[in-house]
Amino acid sequence: MTTVLEVRGLKTQFFTQDGVVQAVNGISYDLNEGETLGIVGESGCGKSVSVMSLMRLIPMPPGKIVGGEALFEGVDLMKISDDEMRSVRGNKIAMIFQDPMTSLNPVLTIGRQVGEALELHMGMSKSEARQRTIELLEMVGIPSAADRVDDYPHQFSGGMRQRVMIAMGLSCNPQILIADEPTTALDVTIQAQIVDLVKKLRDEIGMAIIWITHDLGVVAGLADRVAVMYAGFFVEEAGVKDLYGDPRHPYTIGLLGSLPRLDAERGRRLVSIEGLPPDLIALPEGCPFYARCNYRIDRCETENPPLRLVAPNHRVACWIDVTTAQPTR
Amino acid sequence: MLAYIVRRLLWLPVLLIIVSFITFALGYYGPADPIVALMGQNYDPEVAAQLAHEYGLDQPFGVQYLKYLERVARLDFGESIKYRNQPVLRLLIPRLAVTIQLNVASSFIGVSVGIAVGVIAALRRGELIDRLVVFGVVFGRAVPVFVAGPILLFLFARTIPVLPPGGWDGIFSRSAVMPVLLLSIGPMAVFARQTRAGMLEVMGQDYIRTARAKGLHEMTVVTVHALRNALIPLLTILGFLLGSLVEGTFLTETIFGIPGIGQFAFEALGGRDYPVIITVTLLVAVAYALGNLWADLLYGVVDPRIRQA
Ligand SMILES: Nc1ncnc2c1ncn2[C@@H]1O[C@H](COP(=O)(O)OP(=O)(O)O)[C@@H](O)[C@H]1O
Ligand code: SF4
Ligand SMILES: [Mg+2]
Repeated sequence: MTTVLEVRGLKTQFFTQDGVVQAVNGISYDLNEGETLGIVGESGCGKSVSVMSLMRLIPMPPGKIVGGEALFEGVDLMKISDDEMRSVRGNKIAMIFQDPMTSLNPVLTIGRQVGEALELHMGMSKSEARQRTIELLEMVGIPSAADRVDDYPHQFSGGMRQRVMIAMGLSCNPQILIADEPTTALDVTIQAQIVDLVKKLRDEIGMAIIWITHDLGVVAGLADRVAVMYAGFFVEEAGVKDLYGDPRHPYTIGLLGSLPRLDAERGRRLVSIEGLPPDLIALPEGCPFYARCNYRIDRCETENPPLRLVAPNHRVACWIDVTTAQPTR
Repeated sequence: MLAYIVRRLLWLPVLLIIVSFITFALGYYGPADPIVALMGQNYDPEVAAQLAHEYGLDQPFGVQYLKYLERVARLDFGESIKYRNQPVLRLLIPRLAVTIQLNVASSFIGVSVGIAVGVIAALRRGELIDRLVVFGVVFGRAVPVFVAGPILLFLFARTIPVLPPGGWDGIFSRSAVMPVLLLSIGPMAVFARQTRAGMLEVMGQDYIRTARAKGLHEMTVVTVHALRNALIPLLTILGFLLGSLVEGTFLTETIFGIPGIGQFAFEALGGRDYPVIITVTLLVAVAYALGNLWADLLYGVVDPRIRQA
């Protein structure tokens, strides 16, 4: 299996009036060809910032990528020129976003917005781009695409707009599609349709996907591998079966415990993790999960555990072994 | 949209009748007597009565007004009292041409420079150039035409005498530089401020992020994706622009002695020249109404959400 993206020690901060927001704190991972990596975590844990950093789309200032590399096709995306970065964006690495209602430009037609990338990266003429846009819109399941290509975003529903975003993202046959909570703003039935569509297109096109969500339920049926993010760190990373069947980080266990399950005993209360994630401006010295952890030991308060391999393809950042340890509180 | 335009156009004559009635009534019941003003020191009651009869000024209000309306419908705006026996329309047209040139040049410069400056300030937010623009906007809006005009005159006609202090040799002459500059300050300040605010808001929108994620050049992001959205709210102040121009025109033309509508109206006010006053007022009302209609139509052209409504 070839690796298409190697992220090493990626670190992004925001220098604000209140202090330095440590949004992403040195995350590392590989993304293999055609693989789908899910990144899961509570809102505000740095998921968006971590992928926006890859695309170098962090607002600077106040943001700054303070360290790390992202190797893609033999070059470090963090080091190439702005022009080279632009030729990657929307072309080899594409991105779709959370809110389809606000992610499309209200004053430009759908055809124009999808066609733009085709003209830019594929060197198509206006009419070629238009023709290809219609095909792409058909591919993502927009009915009578040829008529709708000249419509404006407000004439589409939320689900249809997200399909347009997907068409736009896939227009230049990217190696990697980054999807930042693409279903969060949609209602449940539409969510399922979008997930199914992406699965179908992935099988046809074969791009690798980074799928971000705060909902462990959504990635279960989609991802090959899942990384759990907490306070700007990756705290656990494993194949999807292992992560759900054999979670090793107390935070992951807590998250899974709070998932509604069809087979749960009736009347049993959902467990949720008490407390709040740490303030990213004043990160604790030790394990970021310390304040909320039921397994914590003294060492956790002063030393932050690195990710270590606990089983094949299974990495966890925790000092203890939850398979043997007992909760300490 | 079409129905809307038609409705707006149908309102136009109604508006004009209301405006003409009010101005006519104000003039009729107003304190000053045009005949007195006309004759000045040579006042003679007998001649005055004769003149009043000649101009129909001795007839009842209703009769005078209806006669007036009927003439207006034929584009006959009567004869000036001051310029004896000269039709108002004939006096008006050359002056209107001067005023229109002055205003078109000023709004073009004011709006385009204002927008450009606003965009630059927004993209360089917090930097020196942005602060200068913000200061300039406050200054430009705070200083009225009747203060800025004499300052300009003092600077460029007296201290460094590079420009003529007044008069009019056409829009492409040096005599036009100061008046156009003066008249463009207001729109420039307003458009710079609104464009800056609009761009700051739009540049933070999700669709700008989408445009960047597509790999578009920042120039394309700004001009194609941001500017159009930022300019939509500016259309609502086009109506305001017209107001500021009308006001500015009167003062500017008077300060620089430019033979346009503003100066003409000023003169007419002094001479109680009713036919002229009423006609100019009507003209301003028409300009306002058409200007606002134009702004609304532009709104529809630029914003597809309104076009389809
Ligand atoms: N432009 C910004 N300025 C300051 N802080 C920011 C900015 N963007 C994001 N952050 C902070 O970075 C952290 C991570 O944000 P984000 O990646 O958006 O979280 P999420 O996991 O919900 O996608 C948050 O604490 C957020 O407040
Ligand atoms: S390192 Fe300690 S505090 Fe952190 S998750 Fe593991 S047990 Fe809990
Ligand atoms: Mg996010």
